[in-house]
Amino acid sequence: MYYRLFRSFLTVCMLTMPAFGQDEPDTIAPEIGNRVLEHYITPVLARFSETSSTLSGALNAVCKGGSAPEMSAVRTGFSDTLSAFAHVSVLRFGPLVADNRFERIFFWPDTRGVTLRQVQGLLATEEPLPSDLADQSVALQGLPALDYVLFGTGGDALAEDARRCNYALTIANNVADIATQLEAAWAEGTSFRVSFISPAADRDPYRSKAEVAGEIVKAAGTTLEFARNAELLPALGKTVEKARGKRAPFWRSGQTFAFVAGQIEGVQRLIDAAGFVDGPSELVNGYGRGMNFDLSHARETLLAVETAPEAAFSEEQDRGRISYATIAMEGAKHTLNGELSGALGLVMGFNALDGD
Amino acid sequence: MEIDRRTFLALAAASAFRPHGAMAAEEEALFLGARLNAGAFEAAVIDATGRDRLILPLEARGHSFAIDAPRRRAVAFARSPGRFAIAFSVDGKGEPLAFAPPPDRHFYGHGGFTPDGKLLFATENDFEGERGVTGVYDATAGFRRIGEFGTGGIGPHEVILLADGRTLCVANGGILTHPDYERIKLNLATMKPSLSYVDIETGDMVEQVDLAPELHKLSIRHLTLDRFGAVWFGAQYQGEDDLRPPLVGRHRRGQTIELFPGPEATLTALDNYIGSVATDSSGEIVATSSPRGGLAVFWDARSGRCLGERSLKDGCGIAPLANRRLLETSGRGAIVRTGPDTPMENVRATDPAAPTWDNHLRRL
Repeated sequence: MYYRLFRSFLTVCMLTMPAFGQDEPDTIAPEIGNRVLEHYITPVLARFSETSSTLSGALNAVCKGGSAPEMSAVRTGFSDTLSAFAHVSVLRFGPLVADNRFERIFFWPDTRGVTLRQVQGLLATEEPLPSDLADQSVALQGLPALDYVLFGTGGDALAEDARRCNYALTIANNVADIATQLEAAWAEGTSFRVSFISPAADRDPYRSKAEVAGEIVKAAGTTLEFARNAELLPALGKTVEKARGKRAPFWRSGQTFAFVAGQIEGVQRLIDAAGFVDGPSELVNGYGRGMNFDLSHARETLLAVETAPEAAFSEEQDRGRISYATIAMEGAKHTLNGELSGALGLVMGFNALDGD
Repeated sequence: MEIDRRTFLALAAASAFRPHGAMAAEEEALFLGARLNAGAFEAAVIDATGRDRLILPLEARGHSFAIDAPRRRAVAFARSPGRFAIAFSVDGKGEPLAFAPPPDRHFYGHGGFTPDGKLLFATENDFEGERGVTGVYDATAGFRRIGEFGTGGIGPHEVILLADGRTLCVANGGILTHPDYERIKLNLATMKPSLSYVDIETGDMVEQVDLAPELHKLSIRHLTLDRFGAVWFGAQYQGEDDLRPPLVGRHRRGQTIELFPGPEATLTALDNYIGSVATDSSGEIVATSSPRGGLAVFWDARSGRCLGERSLKDGCGIAPLANRRLLETSGRGAIVRTGPDTPMENVRATDPAAPTWDNHLRRL
């Protein structure tokens, strides 16, 4: 009973894993790390690397004097890169956390409008542009900055504005570099990958397959919570008067709902890959399917929003859709952190789970 | 603010029945912790045998307490980002008094009284200003808020008063949050935790110390004072999982922070997370608990040497019981006696039906 009540306080969920040396729960697929790597991590990282490189190429062509077709390729390249990153963003542990890579690609939430301020500042000066963004402010380095440069005020004149175009290219190159780093950090033989697919008592950070399963549960839960609490709810506001579409990510490019839907789809594919939908435990599979039911509805509902994000959060019908999606996401997260984790044999701790 | 006064008073009356006969001082000790009991959040005064002496219902999850021992009262704080605090008599005398910070502040869950019991300090978030403050409340006038001090950092968590009775030490955890984003950490890339010392008579920051830049994601959260006057802290690492920076440190005024990693296997097992810090009754043993690691680790306050560890799943609340002995509570209902010299003894074994103890246990 208490569990049902306190689970509503879970935020970035943390799981207490069984200590190594104990029996491994047989509800967890024996090859969980391999399954996730093969069916999720490797393909989504490859796609992110490919789309971000393509985007760099398209920007390079525009900056060298391209016109309408090249601009169209940039727009497509941007939405493809966002879509690929939506899946990558679910893997918010290990390599994506190291070196602030997540924030460097996606500095969010940006409660004080730092990105806008810094990007406008950089575009307005005549100082030479930094050739490498890696040691610059994270707000200048990633996709929200590129969203402004390509789709914000002045974005239409990208091809004629050499400074703006070169900065866009530098951001795209930076994102493509990080995509390459992510693939390298997960490559065969790296210690992180070895620990993930063959956890052992003397390996960091995963000492058992239960810890790997816990990481996957945590990643999925964190994504759902982040997408709901940091991407949708602040823009939705508690009332229509408090709606602020410009507090949503990627509203300038109109990609907000596609991006969140992509993250939700990523969670679905991740739990599927982990064997939580079609794995060794029918009980777990039942909860996994329950999650998928909620998540599919959330995704479809968000994709049904056709109004531009800037206005959609204030439109009655779309507010209803967005609100429904957040409720379905919350429901899926509760199933994940509650019943599904319990059925997997992951023991949740009141303090360890969500300490302070 | 809803407080079930009837329940409170009924239990307060029951608390008047004390055990008879000669009891060890250890068993006369009283402790205060927040917990979840059969679906209800509450603060509870217990004795060293784990028996409830007083229960105060809370409207939501509590965290830690400020204790004014000479006047037998305490303040229970909401867990961050909560906005309630409740002052009450630990003997159940009179009615509890609820108060809140201003609308643009929320509590971080920790606070403390001045020795004369006149002022209460609470760590708070000025979330629009993105800075930490210590709220100052007049405990002689219904806990009216009379001002605040900047903590010189973001995310102040625990605050303690030094032995001089006028200097506060605040642990700036460095993590930016905003209630609109619940508990999402907004500034991991730019965290800058620190320890700040504030003179409560002037409000001046009299000293501030940081960690080395490469440890900027080591969130300093919990504090205790050893018998030699040094501040000990426990930290939570927000960086990569496969790095294991030291989590325990000591600071002596005017010096740089010292960090104590302890044995490698112990550090690994702590899982980059310490949830509570306390000293034993002598002030010479520092105890650090890690609910994620399921471990309490003991340190010699003189040398910083690690004295050993004891396992308790989801154990976090820890408070002095006697010399070299502490009482620890867990999120799975356990209450244990623990310390560096003796095996852990169950006062109450782990029991899923028992109250689930929250992060902190305080000795009255």
